[in-house]
Amino acid sequence: MEVDRKEILRYLGYGREQEEGPVTPLIDSCVEELSASAEPKHLSREYELRLLPGSRIDGSCFQTESRSLSRNLKDCSQVIVFAATLGMGVDLLIQKYSKLQMSRAVVLQATAAAMIEEYCNGACGQMRQIYEGEGLYLRPRFSPGYGDFPLRCQPDLLDGLEAGKRLGIKLTDSYLMMPSKSVTAVIGVSRKPHRCQVKGCEACEKTDCVYRRDSI
Amino acid sequence: MRKPIACTGGIVSERESRGDHEGGRTDIEPAGEQYGKKTGGQAQDMNILQRMKDHFIFFDGGMGSLLQEKGLKAGELPETWNLTHPQVLVEIHKSYLRAGANILTANTFGANRLKYPDGGSWDLGQLVEKGVKNAIQARTEFVQEAVCSEDSYVALDLGPTGKLLKPLGDLDFEEAVELYQEVIQIGVKAGADLILIETMSDTMEVKAAVLAAKESCSLPVFATMAFDGKGKLLTGGSAEAVVALLEGLRVDALGLNCGLGPVQMRPIAEKILAVASVPVIVNPNAGLPRSQGGKTVYDINADQFAREMEGIAQMGVSMMGGCCGTTPEHIEKTVRLCRDKQVKPVEKKRRTVISSYSQAVALGREPVIIGERINPTGKPKFKQALRDHNLEYILREGVTQEDNGAHVLDVNVGLPEIDEPSMMEEVVKELQSVTDLPLQIDTSNLQAMERALRCYNGKALVNSVNGKEEVMDAVFPLVARYGGVVVGLCLDEDGIPETAEGRIRIAKKIYDRAASYGISPEDILIDGLCMTISSEREGALITLETLRRVQDELHGKTILGVSNISFGLPGREIINAAFFTMALYEGLSAAIINPNNEAMMRAYISFRALAGLDENCSDYIRIYGNGDAPGLGVTRKRGKASGSGDSGQEGKGQLGGNSGEMSLRDGIIRGLKEAAMAAAKELLAVRDPLEIINQEMIPALDTVGKGFEKGTVFLPQLLMSAEAAKGGFEVIKGYMSKTGQAQETKGKVILATVKGDIHDIGKNIVKVLLENYSYDVIDLGKDVPPERVVETAVKEHVSLVGLSALMTTTVPSMEETIRQLREEAPWVKVMVGGAVLTQKYADTIGADQYCRDAMASVNYAEKVLSASAEISI
Repeated sequence: MEVDRKEILRYLGYGREQEEGPVTPLIDSCVEELSASAEPKHLSREYELRLLPGSRIDGSCFQTESRSLSRNLKDCSQVIVFAATLGMGVDLLIQKYSKLQMSRAVVLQATAAAMIEEYCNGACGQMRQIYEGEGLYLRPRFSPGYGDFPLRCQPDLLDGLEAGKRLGIKLTDSYLMMPSKSVTAVIGVSRKPHRCQVKGCEACEKTDCVYRRDSI
Repeated sequence: MRKPIACTGGIVSERESRGDHEGGRTDIEPAGEQYGKKTGGQAQDMNILQRMKDHFIFFDGGMGSLLQEKGLKAGELPETWNLTHPQVLVEIHKSYLRAGANILTANTFGANRLKYPDGGSWDLGQLVEKGVKNAIQARTEFVQEAVCSEDSYVALDLGPTGKLLKPLGDLDFEEAVELYQEVIQIGVKAGADLILIETMSDTMEVKAAVLAAKESCSLPVFATMAFDGKGKLLTGGSAEAVVALLEGLRVDALGLNCGLGPVQMRPIAEKILAVASVPVIVNPNAGLPRSQGGKTVYDINADQFAREMEGIAQMGVSMMGGCCGTTPEHIEKTVRLCRDKQVKPVEKKRRTVISSYSQAVALGREPVIIGERINPTGKPKFKQALRDHNLEYILREGVTQEDNGAHVLDVNVGLPEIDEPSMMEEVVKELQSVTDLPLQIDTSNLQAMERALRCYNGKALVNSVNGKEEVMDAVFPLVARYGGVVVGLCLDEDGIPETAEGRIRIAKKIYDRAASYGISPEDILIDGLCMTISSEREGALITLETLRRVQDELHGKTILGVSNISFGLPGREIINAAFFTMALYEGLSAAIINPNNEAMMRAYISFRALAGLDENCSDYIRIYGNGDAPGLGVTRKRGKASGSGDSGQEGKGQLGGNSGEMSLRDGIIRGLKEAAMAAAKELLAVRDPLEIINQEMIPALDTVGKGFEKGTVFLPQLLMSAEAAKGGFEVIKGYMSKTGQAQETKGKVILATVKGDIHDIGKNIVKVLLENYSYDVIDLGKDVPPERVVETAVKEHVSLVGLSALMTTTVPSMEETIRQLREEAPWVKVMVGGAVLTQKYADTIGADQYCRDAMASVNYAEKVLSASAEISI
C-alpha cells in the first residue's frame, strides 16, 4: 500500500525539511510490516440532507447542530456518509509493540495514520470523479470532532452504514473508534462547484492543532 | 428413516406421524414444557437435535430488509417493532413458515442492555419476550391454518454486543457474558427452543455468548460467524480456529452467516466441513450488495441463490437459510431444491486441535514444538520477574520462543509467594496481546486453571491431568466446560509405574474417565513421562515403548517433556537431542522443549527432513543453507519473521558501523540496542558500574533529551535511544546483582490512562523514559477507574501520579481522578498529558503540571522527587 513518507514524518513531529536521521530503517520496516497487515476497506452511502435554521442539520441517518459543518455543507442537497478502516491487524501490531518496543509502536502509529488518510483520499477521489460525471460536486470530507461537529454523531453515522457489521468498526463509551485507524466522515453533494479542493486536515477549524498540515 | 415431508410452496404431503422423542435433550426449563410435547403452539414432533441428524434444517431469511419495506425507518431500532408492530412480525414469521423454514429467528438480534439501557424508552425484558412470543404466535397460527406443517423451532437470536472486548476495546469479558445471560434468561422463559448466536466476528465475544447460554440454560446452542471474502474473521481468525473454539465450547451446530453471498461462502463452508464434527450452518446474504438509486440490490436473484445453496447442500451442509436481503422467496426456492436430497451424516473428524484467536494448530503427523521457557522452575531471573510483576520479561520470553520456531507456548507462573490465579489470568491475556500462538496452560492450581481457560481466546492445551481420581474429577469438568486438549500424565495414586504396561493402564483409565465427562480421546495427549537415565537405566526405553503403545494400542496422541531424560548428567543437550530424535521417530505428537536451544531444534529440523515432512528439504535449506551452520549455543532464527522486531531493525541500523567498536554513548545516541549492550559489557570489565551510568549513559540520554526539546531529535529516535539505554542498564544491573551491589531507584511514579480512554501510547512513552531515569514506574494500564489510582497512590505512598487522556470525552474522568486524589492522597502531585490537553485545560481540572511531551514529564519528576527526597531526609 502506498504511503506518503512526508506525512509519516509529519505525524512523528518532524518539520518540513528535517532529516530522518537514524530512524530511516525503522520507518522502512514499519511501512513493510503495515503493508502486509493492513486490510483497508470503506463504505459510503448517500442520504438526503436538510439544512435547517440555527445550524441544525438533518442528514437522514443523523441529526446534529454544528456551525462548522453547516458552513461546510452549504448549498448541498445530499450528503454522503463515509467510513473507512485499516482493520484490526494494525491495532494488534501496535498493541504488540506498545508492550515490547515503543519506538516501533510510535512509528507504526504514525505510518498507519498516514496510510488511512491516503486511503480515504483515494476512495473519496474516486467518488468525486463519479459524481462530477453527473454534474455534481463533492465538498471536503468532514469528520466528527472537526470544528464543532460533535463526536456524539459517531453511532448514527456508523449505524447508517452498518459499519459495525460490515467493517468491524466499533465504538467505546467515549466514542473512540476501534480499530483505531478508522475514519468516519460526511461529504456534501452539491450542484455548485466551490471550495472543493481541500481535503481532510485543512478542512478542520482547529487551526492551532500541532499536527495541522499547513502549520508546519 | 422417516421421509422428509414436503408442505411448502403449495405442495402438500402426508403429515408425519408423531414419534420418537426419547433420547436427546429434554432438560429445558421453560414452564415445564419439553421438546416433543406439543403445547402452547409448539409444532415439534422431534427435538431439533434429533431432527438435524438426518433431516435438512431450513432457517428463515432476512428480517431487517422486510421490516424496512413495511416502514421501519433508518436509525429506528428494529426490536422496538416487536411491541409497536407485533402483527407485522407475526406475518413475516408466517411467510417464512409457508416458505418451508424450520427455524424462526426471533427479532432479538440487537436486543441487549447496552442498546436498551435501564431508564431508556424501551423495556428490554418486554422487547425480548415479545420477540420470542411473536414467533411462537406465528407458529401457532400457522399450524392452525395449514393443512400440514413441518416441525418448526423458535430461536432466540443473539447478535454482537456492538462493542469491542478488551484488551483492544473497552467491554470486559464478564460484562459481555452478563449482557447475554440477561437476554437468554428472558428468552428461555418466553419459550424459545434454541439459542442462535449470529454474525459474530470476534472469537472472544462468541465465547462470551456461548458460555452465557451454557451457564444459564440447557437449550441447544448454534453459533454462526461472519467471515470476510478472504475467509477470515474481521478480528483475524481462520475457519479452522473458529471451529476448534466452538466445538471446544460444545455448540450443537456452527457455521457462517452474513457478510457474503452464497458464492463467496462456498469455499469457506468447504473448509469448515473438512474439519467440523458437528452439523454446519450456512446462512448467506442474498448476494453481494450494491447501492442502486438509494436502494440496496444484490448481484444474484432468488433462483441463483437457491441454486448456489443446492451446491452447498451437496457439499454436506445440512442447515441452511438466509441473512441480509433474503426473503421468503429465497428460502422457498432453496427448500424446493434441497429438501429431497439425502442428508450427509456428519462424520467425527477425530482431529486433535488447539487454537488461538487467529490460528489452529493440529497435532498429528507433524510434530509440534511447545516452548517451555515461561516457567520459573530453576530460573532465578524469571522468579524475580514474577515477584516484581515484570510482565515485559515474560512477554519477551514468549516472543523469543515464537521467533525461534515454537508452535505453542507453555505458560507456568507458579511461585509460592505470588497469587497464582491472578498472575495466570493476567499473563495469559498479556501473552495473547503479543503473540497469536496457542497457549498451554500449565498449572496444578485449579483456580488458576479455570481462570486461564475462561479468559483464554481460543481452545487451549491444558497441562495437566493424571490418573488420580481426585485430579481427574477436578480437571475434566473444566475441560468439558471451556474446551481444550488435556495432557494426561501416566501416574496415579501409586506414583509412576515402572513399566510401560503400567503406564498404558493409567492412560486407559484417563481415556475412560474423560469419556464419562464427554471428552473425546482426540482431546487427550498422553504423556508417558521420562525418568532420567542417570538413575533409571531403562528410563528412555520404557518411555519410548509407552509412546509407541499409546499410538498402536490406544490410537492416541502423545506429548513429552523431553529434557527430564538427562537430569543429573553433564552436557544435557547432547542426550536430550538424541532422545528427542528417538521419540520423534516413535511418533511423538508434541514435545515440550526449549526452542531457543540449537541442539534441540537441529534434531527437530533434521527429523522433519529425514521423515519426509519437509518437502524438498526447503525448511532445512532455508534455515541452514546460508553459509556455515552455527555452532551449538548460537540460536538461529527459525520462525516466521514476525517476532520482537528488535533484530530486524537493529541489523539494518548497524550497517554504518561495527557494533563492537561503537562507544556506549554513541550506541545510546544512535539508538542501537545491541551495540549499546555490547559496549556496556566491555566497559564493565574496566570501569565501575555507577561510573558508567553517571558518566556515559546519563550524559548520552541528556544529549538526546535536549535535542528532543530543541526540535532536532524526534520522538522515534528519543525512544530508540531510551531502548538502547535500557539494554545497557540491564547489562549493568545484571552485573551489579551478581556482585551484590544495591541498585537504587529514585522513587515510585504511578502512570495511568484515565477511565474511558483505551489509547495508551502516550502513557507508554512516558513510562519508557521515566524508567530510563531510574524511576520505579507503577503502570496501571489504560481505562483505569479513579478509585484504582487513588487506592494505589495511598497503598504505595507515591508522591507523583501521571495521568493521560486522548479524547475530550475522557478529560472529565481525568478531572474526577484528580479530585479524588486531592481528597484521599493530598500529598500527591499530579502531572497530566495527552493529545487534547493544553496548559489552560490542565489548570481548569486542577492538575499540578501540564506536560506537553515525554521529556517534560521526566523534568517534572526530577523536580518533584528530588524535592520530596530532600524533605524525607
